[in-house]
Amino acid sequence: MGKKRSGLRMSAGWNYSMNGRNVRAGLWIDPRTKIAILLLCVLSAIMAPSMRYEMLLVLLIACFGIACREVRYSMIGALVYAAVYFITTAALKTHGSVQVMLVAFLGLVHKVYPCGILSGIIISTTKAGEFLSAMNRSHVSRKIVIPVAVMLRYLPTVREDWHFIKDAMKMRDISPSLKSFLMHPGMTIECIYVPLMMAASKTADELTVASVTRGIENPKTRTSIVRIGFGVWDVVVTVCFLALFLVGQFCKGVF
Amino acid sequence: MIELKQITFSYSGQEKGGLQDVNLTIQDGECILLCGRSGCGKTTITRLVNGLIPGFYAGDLSGKVLINGQDIADLPMYEIAEHIGSVFQNPRTQFFNVDSDSEIAFGLENEACPPEEMKKRIDITAKDLDIGHLRGRSLHELSGGEKQKIAFASVYAMNPDIYLLDEPSSNLDMNAIQDLKRHLALVKKQGKTILIAEHRLYYLMDIADRIVHMEQGRIAGIFTPEQFREISEAKREEMGLRAIDLNAVHPKAAFQVPSASMLELTGVSLHYQKHHVLGGIRLKAGAGEVIGIIGHNGAGKTTFSRALCGLHKKSEAQFIWNGHPQSCKDRLKRSYMVMQDVNYELFAESVRAECSFGIRKVEPGLVDSTMEKLGLIPYQDKHPNTLSGGQKQRVAVAVSMICGKELLVFDEPTSGLDFDSMVQVAELIRELSAAGKIIFIVTHDYEFICRTCSRVFHVDQGELCDDFPVSGVTENRIRKLFSIQQSAKED
Repeated sequence: MGKKRSGLRMSAGWNYSMNGRNVRAGLWIDPRTKIAILLLCVLSAIMAPSMRYEMLLVLLIACFGIACREVRYSMIGALVYAAVYFITTAALKTHGSVQVMLVAFLGLVHKVYPCGILSGIIISTTKAGEFLSAMNRSHVSRKIVIPVAVMLRYLPTVREDWHFIKDAMKMRDISPSLKSFLMHPGMTIECIYVPLMMAASKTADELTVASVTRGIENPKTRTSIVRIGFGVWDVVVTVCFLALFLVGQFCKGVF
Repeated sequence: MIELKQITFSYSGQEKGGLQDVNLTIQDGECILLCGRSGCGKTTITRLVNGLIPGFYAGDLSGKVLINGQDIADLPMYEIAEHIGSVFQNPRTQFFNVDSDSEIAFGLENEACPPEEMKKRIDITAKDLDIGHLRGRSLHELSGGEKQKIAFASVYAMNPDIYLLDEPSSNLDMNAIQDLKRHLALVKKQGKTILIAEHRLYYLMDIADRIVHMEQGRIAGIFTPEQFREISEAKREEMGLRAIDLNAVHPKAAFQVPSASMLELTGVSLHYQKHHVLGGIRLKAGAGEVIGIIGHNGAGKTTFSRALCGLHKKSEAQFIWNGHPQSCKDRLKRSYMVMQDVNYELFAESVRAECSFGIRKVEPGLVDSTMEKLGLIPYQDKHPNTLSGGQKQRVAVAVSMICGKELLVFDEPTSGLDFDSMVQVAELIRELSAAGKIIFIVTHDYEFICRTCSRVFHVDQGELCDDFPVSGVTENRIRKLFSIQQSAKED
């Protein structure tokens, strides 16, 4: 096993896995940069001058997602947003209370949607270990970092849980569809959240125990098998998001 | 050296699992096996030693736990973690990273091990444990057995003095258990101390130095493996323990062969996300048959059982029930799966409410009679989540009976169950079979197959390999499938 392995990161920002097998190829940026761009995205979305500008923001996020190899997710995200965009344009043409209701609701969707889709990309591309090491490097308190790391790790298990619950509901003749949700909202919600909560409390406990017994609380400065640090791509990505934010604020006439 | 001195403990708000006056000294390099019924306190002992009690689980504790003369109560969790490595039961919730290399490195990263040293340690770990093929893989695509290997590797990389394992084999197939056994033997040879709480005892007989039998929070007896082997079968079952030698376990009385076939499958071919999972399955089954589906972790057993229940849609197959072809929807109406983690199928706030939850047109008398039949009346007002694993399974079975389901699938019903619960599940399945249901059991448990199944259905590498009845005649064939070594090695 003395063979020298190729470096973990072959170029500044593109991450290749060990042994030539890809765990997750694609754009790699530091978790701290990810938090920074998420903040910029929140600001841009809140202070967006127009809908066209938001469409641009979503497109930028989708491009970022595709660079991170979250192709399917990003494409669907952008398409759904495009649909919302057209529904909103249509809603603006209606009159009276219908318009007020629709526009108020859709306005909220427009504010939240870009941040939601970006968070999704960030969560699915950030390893818990990477996140811990990066936060540790910046001396963020463990009291904040550890729960967030457990949460990061917990989120994917929700999807697995959901598959089991869906199966269980089908066998009980309760269909986990939108139609049954509208017909019997109480029962459908109960069916989803009772087992999900039960599973959640157990999973969270077990995850915490597994991490605590492997010394996650160790106060020493954590090392990392994946090199953590800022590279060219961190700058590029941040500049892109920052530029979009600034353009939105100072060149409002364009949109 | 680990010393437990005059330990008395009770969990807050929970009666089970406490300890009373426990004294135990474990020498360096010793391998101790803790056994006993569920709730006897064996897991509690492991939690005391790795500091999870009182660090994580609250309760009343008196007495002292000393590791090399140092009181564990004075040590912070991360310092304990450097000396004691813990492996737990559930492979799904033990890993913290998404890929195997980061996971093996996780403990080392926390210890602030320099990256160069870390890489070396990971290489050594992979070599020692023979898991090179699992490196650099996404953990989500690994089978349960492979995940458990990574969990062990992650602890091994930290090179602790003491290994603690809490029911590590519950979700493993026979081959994975053999690998676990090899890993434990390796660690023992390195002079490490091993403390392991288990229901499955047979694979540890060559490794354990002392076997501690616990009963209701007390140490009821300490045996050497030689003494332990001499315990008669009847006595052992009375102690609530599983078999210690699988060669001594034989299929129970033969089933009567069912008269006519009710269910017929032809040309079953299953896909999962464009991958071909299973093909060429033919099967005829009659009312009352109990069919054990066996095969390695990841051989397609789960996909097959989901297809049987009509939950898996990507299949080309003909399912015929009493001469009528069945669509997915028809199968969903006829069948019910008792999941490995039953919690997913329990929705209501009491057992009684659970029994009629979501079911249209329930006859009130039926709920009562079913609960009576399954012995659930004493628990009818309890919340399903407060029941034990075996009782939860009963509730799920009650639901299936009230829905009038005729085909039942049990997914690893005995994982993590003690001897008593295993016998109860076996009895339950016999009753269901007598009531004319067709039952499929996905399992890795040889002992359980001997007690319940009338037939074994072996799937491997995407196809049906074997299908034969369970009886004294086929005993050796079944053992071979489980790779049980003929004539266990006596020291």
